[in-house]
Amino acid sequence: MKRVLIACGNGIATSTMVAMKVREALKEKGIEVKVEQCKLLEVPAKGADYDVVVTTGRYDNTTNLQTPIVSGMAFLTGINKAATVDEIVKALG
Amino acid sequence: MQFLYDAFQALLKAGAFVMLPVIITVVGLCLGMKITRAFRSGLTVGIGFVGIKLVIDMLAANIGPASKAMVENFGLQLDIIDVGWGAIASVTWASPIIPLLILTIFLVNVVLLSLKATDTLDVDIWNYHHMAIVGVLVYFVTNNIFVAVASAAVMAFITFKLSDWTSPLVERFFGIPNVSLPTMSFLSSVVIAYPMNWILDRIPGVNKISMDLNKAQKYLGIFGESTMLGFILGCIIGGLAKYSVGAAFNLGVHMAAVMVLIPKMTSLFVEGLMPISEAATEFTSKRFKNRKFLIGLDAAVVVGDSRVITTALVLIPLTILMAAILPGNRVMPFADLAVITFRIALVVAIARGNVFRSILMGLVVMAAILYAGTLTSPVLTAVATQTGLDFKGQMISSFASVSMTLSFLIYQVFVNNLMITVPILVVVLGVIYYFAQKAYRKAIAANEQGEM
Repeated sequence: MKRVLIACGNGIATSTMVAMKVREALKEKGIEVKVEQCKLLEVPAKGADYDVVVTTGRYDNTTNLQTPIVSGMAFLTGINKAATVDEIVKALG
Repeated sequence: MQFLYDAFQALLKAGAFVMLPVIITVVGLCLGMKITRAFRSGLTVGIGFVGIKLVIDMLAANIGPASKAMVENFGLQLDIIDVGWGAIASVTWASPIIPLLILTIFLVNVVLLSLKATDTLDVDIWNYHHMAIVGVLVYFVTNNIFVAVASAAVMAFITFKLSDWTSPLVERFFGIPNVSLPTMSFLSSVVIAYPMNWILDRIPGVNKISMDLNKAQKYLGIFGESTMLGFILGCIIGGLAKYSVGAAFNLGVHMAAVMVLIPKMTSLFVEGLMPISEAATEFTSKRFKNRKFLIGLDAAVVVGDSRVITTALVLIPLTILMAAILPGNRVMPFADLAVITFRIALVVAIARGNVFRSILMGLVVMAAILYAGTLTSPVLTAVATQTGLDFKGQMISSFASVSMTLSFLIYQVFVNNLMITVPILVVVLGVIYYFAQKAYRKAIAANEQGEM
């Protein structure tokens, strides 16, 4: 099963909301994933163990993480959600 | 009437673990949810609170004797443990007057939007706890429901206006348009950062210093991992308490566990409250169909900026050091070290990305938080104990609730002599509102010109 890491400022509030929405969106596309949450500060340490990292908000990949990073802002603002879901599906390969 | 009153009293007596699910279920039903869905939300929130209680009680039991020993051995008076904003938020949600406070905050937003006095639409119900905690504490101290509700309303007003006024900066610096960040944990720093930056701009020499800290993440990255941080802090405290190596390690593992478990429990809270947020979103989108507004988001969306992260990584060890050496501070920074990013994101934006300045201003912001935390710990501990958490005499604080400078000031206004404080508040707010609103309208016009 593919693994998705959702990262937000705290690893608690925003990432929980986005995690639920990502799980639902991918389920609709028939893709089952394991979704976990963490803080943005922890992405360099944890990101390598996942197939895609979804960040809620700005994230500068200063540590050159190889895992694809997708911005999940659309799940919060409601704008352009479909395009973001497609991006995640593409990144999952 | 008597029946409702008796029912409410019975509910209060049954404790927070019964009250929380019931209140959430009732709120859900009022918003039109089906009973099973509403109850599921309520139960999830209740479970989250049970989880928080388990972890916090464990933390207090472990750290209590250690911090006492630290005082005896080194006179290191760090006997107030920072349990983190998540635990405090849970306590806020477990307060008996929370539905009233949430409704007040929501109404303030709707009224301000209708009057076109704000552009921020904030249905991020979870984050209402930052505003509500002031109401909860004021109610505890004054036992006056009207004053408590008023304090929450004032917090809401200030939050929405500050979030309007900082949104041009958020767009310019963080690159996220059409949103605002009505999260007090993010906004409160402006009270210190804005004047300090103004002063620093005018000190010759200092205003030109800038630092390149690109390597910071490589060397300081470990401070960003809360598990490691918790373990290291636990071992250090164990050492200072003159524990045996085994006992210090034991403390380290337990504290690392707290760093991991509290967020997971808080996350259950958020999950339970999500349907309520969605119902609020539906209500407002029907009512404000053609308005263009700023979507109120959790400030978590801007703390991934590399300059914010770098500044935070430097400030984490510095804050721990400051806590030890600042005279009069009794707060032991712990669970909230990870959210220093929130406290300084706005500082970094105001400093236009200058890391040196951000660190300087960040130190002042954190010092203010440590002192306010020390001062408000007795009230906070008492309120938390009332909801059923058991600290066995250990005092608690966090970097959130009324440790935050702005919340602290508003709290002080409403627990002191209102005849004196309220007129001062009105005058200060009036003056700031006049100038800030003017600058805001100008910034919006300038942004729109730029887009055209």
